[in-house]
Amino acid sequence: MTVIDAQGLVKRYRTGGQTLYALAGIDFALEAGEFVSIMGPSGSGKTTLLNILGLLDTPTEGTVLLEGQDVTGLGDSKRTALRKRTIGFVFQHFYLLPTLTAVENVEVPLLLDSGPQVKKRARTLLERLGLGERLDHKPDELSGGQKQRVAIARSLINSPKVVLADEPTGNLDSETGRQILDEFRRIADEDDVAIVAVTHDDLVNEYVDRTVHLVDGTIGRERKNGG
Amino acid sequence: MARRNLTRTKMRSLLASLGIVIGVVAIASLGMFGVALQYSFTQNLGNVGNQLTVYPNSGENVTELTERDIRTIRREASATATVSPVKTRVEPVSYNREDEVRETIYGVENPEELYEAKEGRVSPFRSGALVGSSVAEAHDLHPGSQITVNGTSVRIRAVLEEGDAFSPTNPDNRVIVPATSFSQRGYSEVYVMESTGTQANETAMGIRDSLNNREDRVFVQELGSLVDTIEEQFQIINTVLAGIASISLLVAGISILNVMLMSTVERREEIGVLRAVGYQKRDVLKVMLMEATLLGFLGGIAGVILSIGAGLAINHYAVGDAMAVFRLPNAWYVGAAFSFGVLTSIVSGLYPAWKAASEEPVDALRG
Repeated sequence: MTVIDAQGLVKRYRTGGQTLYALAGIDFALEAGEFVSIMGPSGSGKTTLLNILGLLDTPTEGTVLLEGQDVTGLGDSKRTALRKRTIGFVFQHFYLLPTLTAVENVEVPLLLDSGPQVKKRARTLLERLGLGERLDHKPDELSGGQKQRVAIARSLINSPKVVLADEPTGNLDSETGRQILDEFRRIADEDDVAIVAVTHDDLVNEYVDRTVHLVDGTIGRERKNGG
Repeated sequence: MARRNLTRTKMRSLLASLGIVIGVVAIASLGMFGVALQYSFTQNLGNVGNQLTVYPNSGENVTELTERDIRTIRREASATATVSPVKTRVEPVSYNREDEVRETIYGVENPEELYEAKEGRVSPFRSGALVGSSVAEAHDLHPGSQITVNGTSVRIRAVLEEGDAFSPTNPDNRVIVPATSFSQRGYSEVYVMESTGTQANETAMGIRDSLNNREDRVFVQELGSLVDTIEEQFQIINTVLAGIASISLLVAGISILNVMLMSTVERREEIGVLRAVGYQKRDVLKVMLMEATLLGFLGGIAGVILSIGAGLAINHYAVGDAMAVFRLPNAWYVGAAFSFGVLTSIVSGLYPAWKAASEEPVDALRG
């Protein structure tokens, strides 16, 4: 089943008299349970693509279908509501709230309509990610890998269809990076969640179903992984 | 969550709240100070507002009030009013065989209408003299002491209770003898005491109408209007004090604005994450406003506690009764200061909250 189907994405920025193409016509489709990496040099439009797929940004041209629904022209509050329902985010710098414990950080997306079942789900997710003993620790008491696990748990709290990860291993050593990628792989396989990871890290490519290379806002060669 | 966010930057939140505390204390205690001032002043004024004094108008060559004038005044005064005609003359007086000094001697027919005794008895009053408390204290006089008035020895009957400071009948510095001992027929002043200020005012107009219809024979001095003016003045003073105090609250508001603005800049990315994971603009707005409100609320409560403390002190020293702080106008000032404090922090939290909420998550997360 196709979760995201983006057609002819163009993103233009106008700086001074110049028009800058961050994306220059990109087609991108994502199946449920697929783990895809997007690679490319800086300025190739990776993050822009991720933001558009994550409904954080809107394309100048082109359409985005999320579960078959056209979400291209939606306003901010509708996009926000959709994000809350179907999309999870993992960031390079984790962006955990320093005042909240691990469990509370996982609950954050649903904090405003939280109930006991949210708390329970947050605990289950953290336990699944091997943080069962660190539930009530604050972020500054956690290692980088543990923080990223908390962030992953947070991205899954709303049972999303898609998890978008921006340099998920960027701040981690390769050993921890592997553990995190293992988690992603497992989530994609077990929960049938589609995962898109924007990365510089070749390590990621060992774990993904396919890699998309972006060059100057267009799709370069695409490589399928066998496995 | 708002509460947790505040504990993160404890020092800064504390300082911002402190601003609100100071603002609230300033408004409340200056307000209470004004109230205490007014209260102690009104206490001193006593019943001045109900009294009026009728003098002969010497400018029109009227040197004294006749028995007929007195009858007219009694007729104009209400049935419950006390009308006390008083004679005066200046005589050499000697206390305790000291040197003679010239003093105004007051002749009163029924002193019990005007005065109460602190020591001794006021009535019956056919001979002897009554002295005010200041006179008695200055010369160590007690009932039974002797003074000399115009060469004649006179026995002190009573020392009088202290009067209201601003009253024309205040006896503190007076020597009073029976009116019958005066040879002159006319009276030099007449005190009229009504039960209310409004009644006093009506009586004053009646007296003016009947005694001054052909020529201005008398002055009628009424303190009621004076009291009104004074109270108006106090209102103005209080308003000015509150105005000065609100400047400090304004400063507090700006410091909250600053704290919140700093914290939105600092937490740009966090707020971006919140927006990314599905917080609507108004959710972010709510969280930020909640923080500002919390700051204002805590500051306000601390301020109220402190200002009640300050109020106790002010009232203890100004009125002599610390418990006087629990009076209605004070409650009003404290309440106003508190709500003003909370309001200030909400208003100054508004802009940073709006700024935080309306930032695009993409921009915020780009770092």
